[in-house]
Amino acid sequence: MKKAAMKKALWRGLSSAMCLTLSFSIILGIVLEANAAAIDTYLGTTSQLLSSENNEENPLYDKFTPPAELLNEDGTGNSTALIQAAIDLGRREAAEGAVLLKNENNTLPLASGSNVTLLGIRSHVPLIGSSFGVKAQGPFINLEQALSQNKTDFANTITTTVNTNATSREVATEVSKTMSSWTGEEFDFEGAGFNVNPTMVEIYDKLNETYKHANNENPEEVYNANEPSIADIEGVNAGYKDSFVQYGDAAIVVVGRPSAESKDFLPGGVGEGSEGATEPLQLTTNEMDAINLAKEVSDKVIVLVNSATAVEIGDLKNDPDVDAILWIGFPGNYGMLGIADILCGRVSPSGGLFDIFPTYNMSAPAMQNMGKMYYTNTDELITRSGGVLGFTPGSYVIEAEGIYVGYRYYETRYYDAVAGNGNATSPVGAYASTEEWNYANEVAYGFGFGLSYTTFAFEMQGEPIFDITVDEETGAPNAYATFNVKVTNTGSVAGKTPVQIYGQAPYIAGGVEKSAIQLLNFEKSNVLQPGESEVVSVKVDLQYIASYDENYDNGDGTTGTYIMDPGMYYFAVGNGAHDALNNIMVAQGMDQTKMVGTGNAAAVYSKEINEDFIAKTLFSVSKTGYEISNQLPYSDWNYYQPGEVTYLTRTDWAGTFPKTYDNMTLTNQELIDNLNGKTYTLQTTDDTSEVLWGQDNGIQFYEMYGVSYDDPKWQQLLDQLTLEEAMYIFSFGGPSIPGAESIGTVETYMTENAGNGVAVALNASKDPNAPWAIPTSDVNGNWHPQVFGNAPLAASSFYPELMNELGQFTGIESLFTGINILWGPGLNTHRHAYNGRNGEYYSEDPVLSGVAAMEFAIGALDYGLVAAPKHFAFNDQESERGGVSPYMTEQRAREVELRAYQIAFEATKYDTEDFNAGMRGLMTSFSKIGSIECTTSYGLMTEILVNEWGFIGYAVTDIYDDTDLWNAVLNAGTTCFDTRGQSGFYTSTTLAGCSLFQKQVDGSKLSTDLLQGDLNLQLKLKEAVHKNIYAWSVSHLMNRYNATTHVENPITWWRAAYYGLTGVSAVVMLLSAGMYVMACTKKKEEM
Amino acid sequence: MKKQGIAFYLNGIAFVLGIAGLILTVYSSKVSSDNALQNLPMLIAGGVVALVLVLVGMIMPNKMGNHDPISAVAVLAAIALYSYVFGQCILQRVMLIAGLFSFNSGNTAGWQVFYITIGAVACLFVGAIFLVIGSFCKSVKTVEA
Repeated sequence: MKKAAMKKALWRGLSSAMCLTLSFSIILGIVLEANAAAIDTYLGTTSQLLSSENNEENPLYDKFTPPAELLNEDGTGNSTALIQAAIDLGRREAAEGAVLLKNENNTLPLASGSNVTLLGIRSHVPLIGSSFGVKAQGPFINLEQALSQNKTDFANTITTTVNTNATSREVATEVSKTMSSWTGEEFDFEGAGFNVNPTMVEIYDKLNETYKHANNENPEEVYNANEPSIADIEGVNAGYKDSFVQYGDAAIVVVGRPSAESKDFLPGGVGEGSEGATEPLQLTTNEMDAINLAKEVSDKVIVLVNSATAVEIGDLKNDPDVDAILWIGFPGNYGMLGIADILCGRVSPSGGLFDIFPTYNMSAPAMQNMGKMYYTNTDELITRSGGVLGFTPGSYVIEAEGIYVGYRYYETRYYDAVAGNGNATSPVGAYASTEEWNYANEVAYGFGFGLSYTTFAFEMQGEPIFDITVDEETGAPNAYATFNVKVTNTGSVAGKTPVQIYGQAPYIAGGVEKSAIQLLNFEKSNVLQPGESEVVSVKVDLQYIASYDENYDNGDGTTGTYIMDPGMYYFAVGNGAHDALNNIMVAQGMDQTKMVGTGNAAAVYSKEINEDFIAKTLFSVSKTGYEISNQLPYSDWNYYQPGEVTYLTRTDWAGTFPKTYDNMTLTNQELIDNLNGKTYTLQTTDDTSEVLWGQDNGIQFYEMYGVSYDDPKWQQLLDQLTLEEAMYIFSFGGPSIPGAESIGTVETYMTENAGNGVAVALNASKDPNAPWAIPTSDVNGNWHPQVFGNAPLAASSFYPELMNELGQFTGIESLFTGINILWGPGLNTHRHAYNGRNGEYYSEDPVLSGVAAMEFAIGALDYGLVAAPKHFAFNDQESERGGVSPYMTEQRAREVELRAYQIAFEATKYDTEDFNAGMRGLMTSFSKIGSIECTTSYGLMTEILVNEWGFIGYAVTDIYDDTDLWNAVLNAGTTCFDTRGQSGFYTSTTLAGCSLFQKQVDGSKLSTDLLQGDLNLQLKLKEAVHKNIYAWSVSHLMNRYNATTHVENPITWWRAAYYGLTGVSAVVMLLSAGMYVMACTKKKEEM
Repeated sequence: MKKQGIAFYLNGIAFVLGIAGLILTVYSSKVSSDNALQNLPMLIAGGVVALVLVLVGMIMPNKMGNHDPISAVAVLAAIALYSYVFGQCILQRVMLIAGLFSFNSGNTAGWQVFYITIGAVACLFVGAIFLVIGSFCKSVKTVEA
């Protein structure tokens, strides 16, 4: 009896145990399948495989291929050549982009064989990427190595990153490697040939065991620079100064500030690790002590500024014992080689600053309104929640500085100060003096400024060539001026230089605000030998000197358009904005004794522009022929609650210098409704029979390669889609994108981050069938392509060809990794230096940013990669980035932030008579524009983006953004949602089953029936899907498709594991249950 | 009432953990409406049925003796239902958790949901483990006639 009871207990217990494991394995299976795409990415497995025959009739991989030099003879990928090419390009990016700000007594370059001491913990642990976003991944070349060695030590130099503390969420405490190990090849390089003081290297290595700095870090709202003190150094090695004698040819100090997404620096936000500084971008006591220590080492003191933003280095500029300052950005994995090239004189620096460097960043008018501000009555009036990402409702920022952002403020105020206009010299807004506002005190280094080891003279060669025509049919303007600038190397060494063309439009007091100087375009000279000259042609789109007058009466019931006020226009070349402005001021005969610096009238061209030459409203029609008028009235706080915000004006700098609007109260009902997302009403009774779905037209996706967007064949293809398929494509825009059986597409992992390379390891390609795909067995297989410098470094090169080359190389990376849409590069303009994400965005200037992004994207498209710049638009700060409302004038929106995107999207440089070039992707912003989400702004997403600029392509939301506004997002013209993590469409991920879309602000839930009665949205859906599929069709996705394409589902190891667990559990459970029943039965019989 | 065996007490603990897990499940759904569980009524129903089944598993051996079929089936079903509830909690929070540990670390409401979810899952999972262990053990010490 006892034995029988024990048997019963055993079988019963085993049944229960197996019930638990069965349940667990089922749960595990569901979780894994729903997130299969993400799991494949992280584990390097392949759940779905496109399979196609490849023969003469149905060729594959014939549309986009990597360059032959990166392939082996048999067409397979050559990882060695790829990495070597990345090293070479990364090196050139840094050499072209680093900016020499000071070089007294020709301190730089240093002679080969110099014995140098590196100081500052950033010399040992430099910032080369961001902790999140554009992270520098994998093995890298350190500064010490670049200066003194000739072969990589990748096995021992893998980038590190700081991880945010998972519990406190505040202080970053953990440092980890970005990859576990490097067992691939090592590469030879030519270093600077210096001898580096090993004592200090060892000391900083030891100190970093406690300081825990990393190569990828993030800003903090309370920032700790954590530079070790002199006492710390002594604590490791009291005799460290003994080493200075041997390594005293020069001292190189590195100071840095991090950049990454999700956090800003905040005013006054300094912690104990930033002692001596009152602001996060000021140098701390310990950093200054390191610089002072350098003065003990050598009479040659060189400071490298390792940042993505303006560090306050005015004191260093004025310190006679600091001989040289070189801004190096975040140079990426191999950029230290380029920095070494500059330091040893192999390359003469040729970069120009991406942003102005004020002496105090807080002096920017934008700094009066940034960070975390909330409506006083949010709790009472804002009913819309912060969404699945938990954003805080009710945050805003008033951009009261108007158009005076970055150098536009400092240079324009400088101009007015010299001219005696607008109370410009009033101390209001001055930080360096209580007596007056003075440019020399307020600015350390101007936008676009950069020194070389040689000197250059610039001279306008004759009259510019004007090309001004108007399309008779549409009224679209074509207005360019090509400036021929003679550049002469007047120094003693070879070098190259940016050629920057700036402009000044006539300002009328009380009229439309105008910057006294603005960049119009740029090129870069070739390397010129001493005495050599080159005429560099720079083509300027005159639209960018026009001003947006939001009060202009268009005479058709609309207001607002671009205008060219009649008057004298000035165009100047210069070493940065300040130099160009000085040139103009000299040409205008202004009082040179009041100027900061000198000018040269020969570098200026002036032109009286009136109706006979360029009509005032020439630019009131866009290049697409669309009439331009106000589209973003809701961007301005005063639109709702008039008179509550005063915007900065040149007419009265002192009286209108922004106050801090940190206490705004919502009273206007339209404003409140907009903030609550009530911007679209779903229709339920429309007759939608005119919209065709599910037709049988016999066209497949693979046939659409090379078919122009307006070809009728597209309509036939789109009509084949079912409504449900179209809704899937709109709802799930990446990284995994659903297939559509009706047109022969299959679920595909298409998209990834970032801007400094593609965020997928080489051996984890999403296109493993590609002939050049690197196999997992490849010795360099775990190389990660995110290796390039940050965006400001690329921008500072002022070198369009390099920008294009960076895009091309990223396109090549995308072929190797099987990603055909890149969520990048970053294209927002820098509103101020405290934006934590400045490292991902190019510059404060829209022309520099726009050209950089355009070149990148056009270059990427050469290899079939659709670059989707982000974040369209107005991601002006990371603080409360999710849904913050930036309020601004439409003039500000269009002339600064949107102009960058306009340049990139129009890409007129690459237009030909037969081809309208353009970018084919973008990602929208978490942020609103005024009270309206960017994703739901019809004015932004359709009127401006599509109708004015002619954008055709994939326009995806940021991750999980505005999923509660599905209808309004579709209505606005956004083409899909970023739903990272979702996969298994039609099975584990369904429209009705996806929790992201089940809580719409209007009370509806996403389902296949949602649009049955809404004609407008069905039409918009078809358009959105058209744009998405068109973007796919111009990408290297088409390499994989032909008439035989189908999908296969290989059994991955993790799938096999849960299948096995499920099967074994089920079998054992059933057996156990059976045995239990038998034991029970037997017992009864015995009874 | 017969003298209770170890399974009775293990099931009792599982019952308490089940109540705690269910309360935390509901709480995790109420903290932030954006992270509410889609099918909360179903989960509550499943959880309540599971608790009743655990009670059945505790009481029936007093009437039918150790390892009786009714309590065996009840416990088996309770384990499945406990798993269903904590499985749904995990399944519906995967994206939230992935975001918290990467780009969305500043989501304070999300972290709150995460910690409560962890609590709920832990209670229900440990409860299920106790039910499994209890299945191997006697519920009553008296030997049935």
